[in-house]
Amino acid sequence: MSLTPAIRVRGLVKRFGQTTVLDGIDLDAGRGEVTCLIGPSGSGKSTLLRCIAFLEEATDGFIEIDGEPLGFAAGPSGERMRLPQSAIRPVRSRVGMVFQQFNLWPHMTALGNVSEALVIVRGMKRRDAEARAMAELEKVGLSGRASHYPSELSGGQQQRVAIARALALEPRIMLFDEPTSSLDPELTGEVLNVMRDLAKTGMTMLVVTHEIGFAASVGAKIVFLDHGKLLVQGTPGEVFGKPRHPRIEQFLDTYLDRGAATLL
Amino acid sequence: MSFDLDLVLSFGPQILTALAITIALWVAGSGLGLVLGFFIAVARRYGGKPVDTLLMLPVELIRGTPFLVQIFLLYYGGPYVGLSLDKTVAGLLGLTVYGAAYYSELWRAGFDAIPKGHLEAADCVGLDRSQTMRRIILPEMTMLVLPSMVNMTILMLKETAILSIISVPELTLVVSAIGTEYYAFVESFTILALLYWGLVELCGAAGRHAERRLSKYRFSVS
Amino acid sequence: MISWKLFSLLVYAAQWTVLYSAISISIGFVMSAGICSATLSRNRALAFAGKLYVSFFRGVPLLVQLLLIYYLLPGVGLDVPSHVAAIAGMALCTSAYQAEILRGGFASVPRGLVEAAEMSGFSRLAIFRRIRMPIAVKLTMPALISEAIMMLKSSSLISVVGVVELTRMAQNLAASTYKPMEIYTAAGFVYLVINLVLVALGYGLEKKLRWGRI
Repeated sequence: MSLTPAIRVRGLVKRFGQTTVLDGIDLDAGRGEVTCLIGPSGSGKSTLLRCIAFLEEATDGFIEIDGEPLGFAAGPSGERMRLPQSAIRPVRSRVGMVFQQFNLWPHMTALGNVSEALVIVRGMKRRDAEARAMAELEKVGLSGRASHYPSELSGGQQQRVAIARALALEPRIMLFDEPTSSLDPELTGEVLNVMRDLAKTGMTMLVVTHEIGFAASVGAKIVFLDHGKLLVQGTPGEVFGKPRHPRIEQFLDTYLDRGAATLL
Repeated sequence: MSFDLDLVLSFGPQILTALAITIALWVAGSGLGLVLGFFIAVARRYGGKPVDTLLMLPVELIRGTPFLVQIFLLYYGGPYVGLSLDKTVAGLLGLTVYGAAYYSELWRAGFDAIPKGHLEAADCVGLDRSQTMRRIILPEMTMLVLPSMVNMTILMLKETAILSIISVPELTLVVSAIGTEYYAFVESFTILALLYWGLVELCGAAGRHAERRLSKYRFSVS
Repeated sequence: MISWKLFSLLVYAAQWTVLYSAISISIGFVMSAGICSATLSRNRALAFAGKLYVSFFRGVPLLVQLLLIYYLLPGVGLDVPSHVAAIAGMALCTSAYQAEILRGGFASVPRGLVEAAEMSGFSRLAIFRRIRMPIAVKLTMPALISEAIMMLKSSSLISVVGVVELTRMAQNLAASTYKPMEIYTAAGFVYLVINLVLVALGYGLEKKLRWGRI
């Protein structure tokens, strides 16, 4: 493993008007590792992920993907300069994103959703792109649903298609923004299983989640955010093991029932 | 081409009278149409299948044909079946019936848009049918249908211009008569357009204001 | 009842109604795309001009617009036949309504769908062509069809500036036969049939798009 982390965040600040959502975040996500971002609602974890996806532009600070600056770089005397669009695109293309609301394009079939970018962005022939897309759908167990429209799929199936869509573009890093939060409990498992399998292949993953069990079992590193600040980070054992940081204790109490919290 | 505004403005009093007639027709037609439309909607919703079907026919006939044809039918056809009306009365009647058909559909959409759970909740806390109607359905529905009602009411104002074709002495008739008589077409039609535009914008602004007030109410109750 | 001969005259005139409406709705649609992009433009002057246009043509009765155009054009030295003036008036009017409908359609394309396309590396143009446009059109299809129906009914107003179409024909026949009741009922019936055909077309068009809710 090389020394540069897959994602390096330094001094990241994000303000919406008067509200400071991220207040100086420093974070390293190791290559081939699963990093889980947890924390109460409004702690800024989704905003952090969206900044790393460059869907939001941070107010201050720097993000590097595989050692290359994303969006902004330090100038000769340390000042923050916005990079040209042509320098943003290639860095951004290494990152795949899975959304809470799936965001599948409703007017395309599952196959269309996965193959569209291969045709439009990568310039592949429609036939080749669809063959590739089919292979990706196979991996998430949905090759049998290729010709279905999103409205004809369950939430869990939609999210698996969305994962296949992101993977088809061969990202180095996968970002997951609460991927199971809009799913019924019985559909959560199928999505988490796909994510577990993906983690085993050595994909670098950054996951915003409320699934503490998943974070504890799959995460190499747990990062706890609170009020826009990175409060605690470490291995699951360090973060969840006792004695716990009082805020984490409180968080676990609120998000899990007490019985489940004691199991950790 | 000269733009002789003074000529048209010298007819100020006549124009203002005509404007008042337009506004009176508009307010009366929309108000009556709104009420009649509400009763049609309630009858169709709660009166059973036969009533629903019976009322659907005239509503769809009116919504499917031009207002001008309806007015011609009423004003020129009426006397042949013993219904001789003064042109202004015919105009107002036509406007009311036309509006009622459209308003009834908006009211119906409003009934359908109220979440079932809210009615079940009213039932659970022991409200009877009329209490539920007055305390739950009406206030909630007003909020839901307000934007489309405002749109329809603006449309009603614009439809009053059509009454000029059967010589109702409203704004369009009076101003275009001045224009024709003095060859001041451009001036008179420009004034005419501006007057309608102003009224429509005023009505739209009032509607947006009411919407804002109601949405505040909505937040405070939820 | 009126004779088949009279009725067939109304049906014959109805083709002008359909033709004039179809032409102005089509011209209006093309114009509306431009007006809609103007209102959404980052250029504030352009956006203001677009909004002013929409506000004016939605705020003035079509009848007044038609009279204005009919009398204004000769005033500025443009001597056009009345049916051309009528089509121009209708197109101007419906373009404002359609632009407003389209604007609403674009505004209701969920942001997440655009973000998903951004994450897939789509260019701005590709996002517009492949994601925003098809979804906006699908979302606005019912509204665009009711606007078409509205326009078809409003086309009766061009009878006032002397264009022969269904309503004008009905007026002429009513005056010469002294049977206004029957003639106008028949004319209304013809309008109703055309509208039902339009509704059915729209319904079929919507069904053809298999993908459901957004």
